Amino acid sequence: MKPAPFRYHSPGTLDEALALLAEHGAGAKVLAGGQSLGPMMNMRLAQPDALVDINAIAGLDYVREHEKTIEIGALTRHHAIATSPLVRAACPLLAEAARQIGHYAIRQRGTIGGSLAHADPAAQFPLACATLGAEITAAGAGRTRTIAASEFFLSLMSTALEPEEIIVSVTLPKAPTSEGQAYVQFSRRRGDFAIVALAATVRPDAGGHIDQVRLGVGGATDRPMVLAELADCTRGEKADSGWAARLAKAAYDAVAPIDTPRVPAEFRRELVHVLTRRVLVTALERARR
Amino acid sequence: MPKTRFTQIGRAIPRREDRRLLTGNGRYVDDIEIPGALHACFVRSPHPHARIVRIDAKAALAMPGVAAVLTGADLAQWTTPLRVAPPIEGLHPVEMTTLPVDKVRFHGDPVACVIARDRYLAEDAAERVEVEYAPLPAVANADQALAEGTALVDESLPSNLVSEQRFSTGDVFARRREAHRVVESAFSQHRQTHLPIETRGCAALWDEGREHLTLHIGSQVPHPLRTQLAARMRLSESQVTISSLDVGGGFGQKIALYREELTVAAASRHLRRPVRWREDRMENLLAASHAREELCRTRAAVTDDGRLLGLELEILEDFGAYCFYPANYLARVVAMILTGPYKVSDYAFVVRVVLTNKCGSGPMRAPMSITSWVMEGTMDAIARELKLDPLEVRRRNMVAAAELPYTMPTGEVIADITPRETLEAAVTRVEYAQFRERQAAARREGRYLGLGLCSVVESTTYGSRFYKAAGIPGSGHEAAWVRIEPSGAVNASLGLGASGQGYETAFSQVVGEGLGVDPASVRIHLGNTDVAPYGMGSRGARGGTAGGATLFLCARDANEKMLAIAAKLLGFDSSEGLRMVEGKVVREVLGERIDTGISFAQLARTAYLDPTALPAGMAPGLDFSRTYDPPPMTYSNAAHVCEVELDVETGAVRILRYVVAEDCGTVLSPVVVEGQQHGAVAMGLSGALLEHMLYDEAAQNITGSLADYLVATATDLPRFEILPMHTPSRGNPVGTKGMAEGGVMGAIGAISNAVNDALAPFGVVAERQPLSPDYLRSLLRGKTP
Amino acid sequence: MDTVDFELSVNGERHAVRAEPRKLLTDVLREDCRLTGTHVGCEHGVCGACTVLVDGRPARACLLYAVQMRGHEITTIEAIAKDGVLSPLQQALHEVHGLQCGFCTAGIVMTFEAYLKENPRPTEEEIRDVLSGNLCRCTGYQNIVEAVLKVVHA
Repeated sequence: MKPAPFRYHSPGTLDEALALLAEHGAGAKVLAGGQSLGPMMNMRLAQPDALVDINAIAGLDYVREHEKTIEIGALTRHHAIATSPLVRAACPLLAEAARQIGHYAIRQRGTIGGSLAHADPAAQFPLACATLGAEITAAGAGRTRTIAASEFFLSLMSTALEPEEIIVSVTLPKAPTSEGQAYVQFSRRRGDFAIVALAATVRPDAGGHIDQVRLGVGGATDRPMVLAELADCTRGEKADSGWAARLAKAAYDAVAPIDTPRVPAEFRRELVHVLTRRVLVTALERARR
Repeated sequence: MPKTRFTQIGRAIPRREDRRLLTGNGRYVDDIEIPGALHACFVRSPHPHARIVRIDAKAALAMPGVAAVLTGADLAQWTTPLRVAPPIEGLHPVEMTTLPVDKVRFHGDPVACVIARDRYLAEDAAERVEVEYAPLPAVANADQALAEGTALVDESLPSNLVSEQRFSTGDVFARRREAHRVVESAFSQHRQTHLPIETRGCAALWDEGREHLTLHIGSQVPHPLRTQLAARMRLSESQVTISSLDVGGGFGQKIALYREELTVAAASRHLRRPVRWREDRMENLLAASHAREELCRTRAAVTDDGRLLGLELEILEDFGAYCFYPANYLARVVAMILTGPYKVSDYAFVVRVVLTNKCGSGPMRAPMSITSWVMEGTMDAIARELKLDPLEVRRRNMVAAAELPYTMPTGEVIADITPRETLEAAVTRVEYAQFRERQAAARREGRYLGLGLCSVVESTTYGSRFYKAAGIPGSGHEAAWVRIEPSGAVNASLGLGASGQGYETAFSQVVGEGLGVDPASVRIHLGNTDVAPYGMGSRGARGGTAGGATLFLCARDANEKMLAIAAKLLGFDSSEGLRMVEGKVVREVLGERIDTGISFAQLARTAYLDPTALPAGMAPGLDFSRTYDPPPMTYSNAAHVCEVELDVETGAVRILRYVVAEDCGTVLSPVVVEGQQHGAVAMGLSGALLEHMLYDEAAQNITGSLADYLVATATDLPRFEILPMHTPSRGNPVGTKGMAEGGVMGAIGAISNAVNDALAPFGVVAERQPLSPDYLRSLLRGKTP
Repeated sequence: MDTVDFELSVNGERHAVRAEPRKLLTDVLREDCRLTGTHVGCEHGVCGACTVLVDGRPARACLLYAVQMRGHEITTIEAIAKDGVLSPLQQALHEVHGLQCGFCTAGIVMTFEAYLKENPRPTEEEIRDVLSGNLCRCTGYQNIVEAVLKVVHA
């Protein structure tokens, strides 16, 4: 389990990195934390001609607060996101998801940009970003563009990113104080990829009725699924356990999960049902605090 | 065993091995620097079953730095095949070449070996070795193996049924007829692997001038390995040295001489260069050794109050593609000791072992691991069927102290064990009656708790007479030497192979005890066949019993000679009344100890440097060796109790509590024994809940990484509560009974019984492992309490 | 394939390394720097045996290319005992029998040397959570947890 040969580049600036990607085309891979790419290369499942290591590029590792959003640099490590007071206050779902990525040592190296670009359908950040309506900013040669998370994830490990583009930051809406957020996942062991994960934000109105709900399912299909219409349909309902149960049943009916040798589809569907109810109840409780 | 109380044996001394291992100064195989060593990488079959049509290594050999690409045909010239053909009724003899010559038998089977400057290059070259295969139909499981017209895994056999053995005593049919009820149960254990954190590996150095091979390897059995390696390379045992320093876990995987290791040794001799190989994790998962895939069925004839009248057992084991061991050997032990602590005289079994196109199986920590689950699961099934309390059913059938020694229906004799005492101690600790109340209260809240009981009678130490009776060639004896050097320093050795069991600590205590010196002055030398005596190595749980006893007897021989010298120096006629205490010779007179002024070191000096001062006729020096063959079988016992909570919505199992009362007799090192208890239970729980070596329907292995093969982590396992008990074995000179595998047996049974207790309100029973959430959900689906 | 020359700072010592860019940090530490205390257990980031510190933070050395470590400080197990005195965690592991075969031990020591600096008073649950990133096949983890607790409560 040793990687195949590759050319190694460690550009000091984003422009240099973009130039290298343009030069190598699809044969090059961006190396950020390397916690997913590394295993794939050691197993020779990935054999890029060149690696463009972006770790030496300054100014990509930050969490910034704006009026209505927070912005996170692509090289920000999972551990920094999980422990950032700003993220925990403004975007608790993201911090909660970050805490559940892999293990302590993995979280020290892994980056949010890398996780989004890798687009594992069972990973935490793609689900959290899709559910929260994040925007992903990518730089290419001579241009920078912003892609909505809902349009970013195309299928299993495939994104809207062009080969010569690099994610530079992610922007997420700040949660209003009336909103409760929760992330739950079911995996065989702590730190494993989720078999099914659920992310939710719940905003009840002053009268205790549902004002806004966002609900996302990860691990069940080839990309994170946001159940926007289902959630919207419950607007105005009384925010209680009955609402959570009904929406959970609707999610169970709506999601047609993948079937794999280790995890049958019906089991995944049942998890969608149970975890949807649990994530909604938790988010609602947090909204009331 | 001696009547005197031990002063060193049984002391809790922190381990002597630790310092080097904690500071990064251990010497595992891969840590040994060998200048100029080439690296091996194996080309492995992507097919479960295929003819090898052609191997083209031209492109690989053209790469600068590639020294050789070896195939089965090459190895067949330099090595002999492995023939496993003990004269055992019902067992077919089998044979395998060093590397496959004409066909591959499982996904991961090695077909060629690339030898290159470094491992990176070797892997590059391995990708360029072109192998043309003609795929054959594959046998993916035991049912397919036995089906009509199925493919033959081993074409030298008449069928895939490599072994079939039957046994019957009493009249089980009559017992069935007169029974109040006949309770049938099934237990399906899944394929697992040992997963030492250090994978296999070796480094071979052929010395052309001396015509001598040194193989550095992590081995549990250095001498038997040497015997095999020498024979298969057509060398004399005097031409081979095995050196096994630190070993990063074995669990049964580091016993056999594997084909890769033999290939590397032969390559070194052929190329006249050192060659090394470190197995990577993917190879370790696909192709090292697997274990445990077996289906057991029991049929218990019982009275209306739950007493066992007769018992029948069927075992069907999937042994994989190759037999590194006699195929009957693991499953037969299960059948031999199944009844454990329970009284029954009418018993019958049939044990069938089949070959499939999967990695070969071997002994894994507790090769008889399923035994206690099968017996204790049967006890629970009886309780369920008769609506009796499972604890009460056990009490009604369990052998009592007054009934020991007790002869099992298979003729196995259990003695000096305490099944009732351990069971009662464990259920008292968990407050069994109160648990039932808590369980009922929780059920009313929609929470499902379960408690599982599992009594274990562990066969720890196989004596030569057991092997002889089973028809297996080999011995159960162990060998040791003790040398006291002129300075009084003590060196000692025995034929075991350490892989984390703290031998250097526990055995220095044994020698210290036998000699009457501080264990700190004793150094234990292990793992080098030029240094250690020829012993049978570490397998089963024989280290403490066979090894400890041999070393103790050897140290007593030394002690006797030294006291005889002391008597001569003191002018006494005999050494009666003299003892060595903490390195000083004392006289015991009317219970008082009087210092004689003679020290251990002084005696050592005299023995070597002043032989004329020795008693008449005594030879100079202090050099002792000894062998010891333990009784046919030694048993220890334990009771496990596991409490779980089952999340019936997700199928997740959480272990709330785990209690073990274990009686392993005299304990050499309580530190080591407790560690072994934790580790064994952990391995059992991990296997029962998480680990699963999964093949798909086409016999493709789909478990190639540690993201697929799930091993329990610190968050999956509970705190273990151990209740140690110490009833010594009267058949052992030190009183030890052995342990370290029983924890696996107990855990597998206790967790299953606990989960089934939690499932009980739904009227379903889990009959297979792993107890994965999706399996438990499949049982619960559509069921209501 | 072409090699590159670079300097690696390990345990405060500078090593001149000539290696292919693909050479993993594990292999460079073990072969080029001759520091064999960092063990290779899985080479896909799961088992944790090869955990070292990069600028004081734990990292899987099997998921790093040594060439990436220019300008960074690597700490390995060989630097944890100072002047022959075990660190409090090493000493506690010895005293409570927190290791058996010892193959996974270096990774566990390195993980907790870093973690206890960040969180000097973790609960047992937090310790188990962090320890879940290191596989041990021998101990069942209990005595490792005990050792960390012993350091925490010292």
